[in-house]
Amino acid sequence: MYEWMKKIHMYAGLLSFTAFAVWGATGIQAVFLPRPGEWQPPPISSQREFPFEGAGNLDDKKLAKAVFQAAALAMVGGYYNVHRDDAGNLAFLAYSANGQRELTYLEKERRVRVVFRDSGLGDFLSSMHAGHSRRGAPDWSSHLWGYYNEFSTWAFLFMVLSGIYMWVATRPGMRWALILCGATIAATALLWVTTR
Amino acid sequence: MFRLMRNVHLILGLLFFFYAMLFAASSLVIIYRPWLKPTHSEQEQTVRVAADRAQTPRDLALELIQNQGLKGDLRDIKQDGDAVRFVIARPGMRSEVKYSAATGEAKVRTRQEGFLETLVQLHTNHGFWHEFMPANGWSLLSLLGSVGLFLLGATGIYLWFYHHEERVIGFVILAVGLVYSLTTLVLSRIA
Repeated sequence: MYEWMKKIHMYAGLLSFTAFAVWGATGIQAVFLPRPGEWQPPPISSQREFPFEGAGNLDDKKLAKAVFQAAALAMVGGYYNVHRDDAGNLAFLAYSANGQRELTYLEKERRVRVVFRDSGLGDFLSSMHAGHSRRGAPDWSSHLWGYYNEFSTWAFLFMVLSGIYMWVATRPGMRWALILCGATIAATALLWVTTR
Repeated sequence: MFRLMRNVHLILGLLFFFYAMLFAASSLVIIYRPWLKPTHSEQEQTVRVAADRAQTPRDLALELIQNQGLKGDLRDIKQDGDAVRFVIARPGMRSEVKYSAATGEAKVRTRQEGFLETLVQLHTNHGFWHEFMPANGWSLLSLLGSVGLFLLGATGIYLWFYHHEERVIGFVILAVGLVYSLTTLVLSRIA
């Protein structure tokens, strides 16, 4: 039993190595995220326009959906904040793991303008760390990553538990390990009690 | 060297055991939330606050924190005529306060999340800007655990490599994982 636990612990870690690195990077980056209300989108990185004419009988909600589908943006799961801008044009935001996209339907010109605000690598990894089989952009690369990320979550849970098993199975009386374990339990319990 | 690496791996594993369990469990809650249906409870109360203790939203928040048992960070202050709204929130609990200077009453609606959803909110808690100190404590645990994850990975790689009989199959598994994951990440990035 011990040998098999050790093997599977090792193999799970080797297979999930990238996911753990992405999670670690995301956790470190999170320290430097702006506080609520202070987030600013990245600067504009590029812009494109394409011709589009919406049917005259569509309301804003349905028109936004039609514009979104016509834009066929990569790595975008959905759109939000449908509104009229200062010039009265229909505008909304689409979120991509690679950054925010702002879409504006210039109705009189029959064109759609898409403004790309590409995010840095840290924000990309942060977005991808949250991907799983039921969440993420519809692109196949995102789906495949989501399956891997979800598998790695289960692998991580197994590794945590199997790690404790391997310690208890081989050196259960190790004093410093017992003290450390006790200190960790106490510190976490204290944090939990003060939070709740 | 092997013994040192093994002990470092064990130390890190024990130090961050609960943090790791929290993140593993909360990740699974996030993924399978529609099936788990996390619970919560809500309660409303009306509190009379003397005008001199509610001259500013911060004064009012402090009064509620010190004398009404609310705990958390003060957020989302909004002025709505003579009414003031804000939120006092901490992982697992959120209190929405609406105060009217005319009546001197603060309506407090509090939502307390169940255990599973609290884990999720601890997962997303970050930064050291919190006025609610335990939130900074969780953020510190998060930061140290993230660094620990890299160190666990590095020592784990060493420990694997030390086992000669596992090198070949280990290389294959590592290669498969790296090729699959890096390919999907790169393709997602350049899309």
